[in-house]
Amino acid sequence: MQQSVLTALLGSAIGYLVGHWLGNLIASGYPVVQSSGYNNVAIVLGLCFGVVGWMVGIGTMNYPLAKLVGREPVPESPTEGWTRFFKMTLDHKVVGMQYIVGVLMFFFTGGLFAMAIRTELLSPTTHYWGPDTYLQLVSEHGTIMMMMATSLVVGPFGNFLVPLMIGSRKMAFPRVEAASFWIFMSGFLVILAALPLGGFNTGWTGYAPLQTEAKQGMDCYLVGFAVIGTGMILNGFNQIVTIVNYRAPGMRWTRLPIFVWSMLATSFLLTLATPVFFGAVYFGALDRTVQTAFFVDAHGGSSFLWENLFWFFGHPEVYIMALPGFGIVAEMLPVFTRKPLFAYKVGAAGMFGVALLSFFVWQHHLFQSGINPDMRPLFMLTTELISIPTGFIYLVGMGTLWKARIRYTVPMLFCLALYFNFLIGGVTGVYLSDVPVNVTVHGSFFVMAHFHYTIMGGLVFAFFGGVYYWMPKMTGHMLNDRLGKIHFWFMFVFFNFTFFPLFIVGLLGMPRRVFEYAPRLAHLNDFSSISSFVLGASFLIFVANFVWSIWIDPKPAPQNPWDSKGLEWQVPTPIPYDNFKRIPIVLADPYHYGEPDALPVADLGGELGLASVGAAGPSAAAGAGTSRTGAGDGQSRIVGGGPDE
Amino acid sequence: MSDAPAALDVHAEAEFELQNAEGAIWTATRLLIGIVTFAWSAVAFAYFYLRAVDPAQLWRPHGTTPPVLLGTLVALGVVGGALINAYAAPRLRRGETADWIFATSVTVGLGLLAAGLQVWQLTRLSFFPGVSGYTSVFIGFAGLNIAFILGGTYWVETLLARAIRLRPALAAEGGPGLSTLPAAREFRASLEGCTYFWWYMAIISVLFWFLFYVL
Repeated sequence: MQQSVLTALLGSAIGYLVGHWLGNLIASGYPVVQSSGYNNVAIVLGLCFGVVGWMVGIGTMNYPLAKLVGREPVPESPTEGWTRFFKMTLDHKVVGMQYIVGVLMFFFTGGLFAMAIRTELLSPTTHYWGPDTYLQLVSEHGTIMMMMATSLVVGPFGNFLVPLMIGSRKMAFPRVEAASFWIFMSGFLVILAALPLGGFNTGWTGYAPLQTEAKQGMDCYLVGFAVIGTGMILNGFNQIVTIVNYRAPGMRWTRLPIFVWSMLATSFLLTLATPVFFGAVYFGALDRTVQTAFFVDAHGGSSFLWENLFWFFGHPEVYIMALPGFGIVAEMLPVFTRKPLFAYKVGAAGMFGVALLSFFVWQHHLFQSGINPDMRPLFMLTTELISIPTGFIYLVGMGTLWKARIRYTVPMLFCLALYFNFLIGGVTGVYLSDVPVNVTVHGSFFVMAHFHYTIMGGLVFAFFGGVYYWMPKMTGHMLNDRLGKIHFWFMFVFFNFTFFPLFIVGLLGMPRRVFEYAPRLAHLNDFSSISSFVLGASFLIFVANFVWSIWIDPKPAPQNPWDSKGLEWQVPTPIPYDNFKRIPIVLADPYHYGEPDALPVADLGGELGLASVGAAGPSAAAGAGTSRTGAGDGQSRIVGGGPDE
Repeated sequence: MSDAPAALDVHAEAEFELQNAEGAIWTATRLLIGIVTFAWSAVAFAYFYLRAVDPAQLWRPHGTTPPVLLGTLVALGVVGGALINAYAAPRLRRGETADWIFATSVTVGLGLLAAGLQVWQLTRLSFFPGVSGYTSVFIGFAGLNIAFILGGTYWVETLLARAIRLRPALAAEGGPGLSTLPAAREFRASLEGCTYFWWYMAIISVLFWFLFYVL
């Protein structure tokens, strides 16, 4: 039987049943199980065995098991057809596209929960859901979206693009790459399993002691985040190793595409912050199963321990979500402004500045609890400091836009929207870093609006910009421009209509996670709720565009439809299994737009040799760059050069 | 242009990719240690945080020390495995493959023994897991320790199995420790990383042994 998603589902079902049976065998006699009627050991073991069964079923364990007897890895044959998307594969491009579908499943599911929340908030007193159900919806929405956002760009674009951008034929560890995706998807099943188990009402932050007392759905939160966290670590780990070791000759650090810099900075956050959170959810699971007392104050633990461990990961996670968005837009801006990227090195340094500082700000989440008040100014200062490198990154974009002749394509519109949205999200973030404001609006819709402006207004807009931009290279088809613009304008306008009023209702005192509110706030909430439904509908336009452009009326995309100098655009479409027939020799960074004497970006052919480029001088090489002769192997020789403006 | 790298011919490409693979193993090992360190730091933070805060004066009630002898044997098992591994690796590079295979088999045995003793220790506790902060952190430590010891043992066992499988093919070239074939070079890179990781685990074992049984 060939391993695919079907065998994975079968494996997960068998694994869950075995784990559940084992849990009952072990713990059904425990006094706490008998008195409460809940056997968390059975649930946790069921979920863990279910995930293992899923991974065995999809085939990720084949090689680790073969290694036990010293077997060599079996090379994968290139496969075609749609069925490859439902199997484990070692092709980083297929994994990237699998991730796109995967994160969209998370996103649309979380979006449905969001609209359910806004439905409840249509009225201050008439209820569609009970208070428990409302909290479960809020918790599922927040958790699914956070899980999604951690991998929204690093998963799809990181895996698809990084090897192409650095001139590599593969990721460093293709099996780890495949495992990171499939374990990520098992997390989706685990977190959805919370619903039939009674959900959880802690929100995405999972605070103790509510966590310890919650129903069995909480086990899904803990196991789900452990599983997703494992996928995040694997993904980040693989990205770092690939970027450090698999750069083509000539791909110096100063020539690395800015998107790759953002992946590198994000990956360090993923690999170093997530293990701490893994530890936290592991402790939480132990509290709920073997009755330890990590977060139980009365037994020598502390609920603040959770807050510290959670936010040590949780605040870097904010930048895990923000940096890739900036990486995408900074990569696209030069293409659509036909200008070099402004202050490239400052941008790269800013990303690492943000990444480093993000480890020193977590205590600002505890301004209201669990922190010595004398420590507040220190963490207020570190939080405010982080706005400086963030400002660098923002100004790189502004400098690139300055006096540019902008091409208002669909991807570019999404780029510009990010800068608009993030300005609002970022400035409100600076306010929130100050203790007086933080104390005033803590736990209100103001905070909620702020982070939706940074994460949805930033990352999600960048993601869709990236989808429109790179989809021609991924699928060989252009997405419909008119439908894309309709999608953009609906999404942009109604995103702002949905979330901007929530700043106001937050300032007027409306708390988060409470399903009743003051009647005087009904109009603003109604406006926000109705806007959110249109916002949700705007994604149907995207889906319609995708279906129309890929299946109903497919239009073949040119090899380089945006006339980009990026290395990923210089390979033919569809991209060969090994990306590059010959390892490219990188000659310059890909941002020398509008520079008549610019060097070509790379020599893809090898046969012409660099000596001939040098001997003929840059201009001759640049001339060759625009010809794109193909030269028989389907790949142009000297590429991405020339005075194109 | 003067500092542009030379174009690669097919053989140079193969060597370039092999060097990439070796470098990837080197980087991956160091990064893995970073990841594991942050995971252990969650345990260490819990230890010191609960010890310092101690809200219910229940950090470590009398009679809640886990069996010291078993805990010491676990740590010694890991340290012993690291020492034997470090002793054997240079012998492999001198072509003494049989010595390395024997020594590495002992390392695998010590790893399994240490993990087994850690499990056994959990069955011999004289306290309930949730009676104090100390006991909770100890249970958390023990679970992670089992996982990482087994992980390290898995790594060294796969190297052992690989060396045994490669040995006939590489015999003419002096075995996996001396051969210049790609399989042997990648094997040595992995072995170097594995040795490094075992040293790291030995340090961790000693540190937590000190925290739980001495401090």
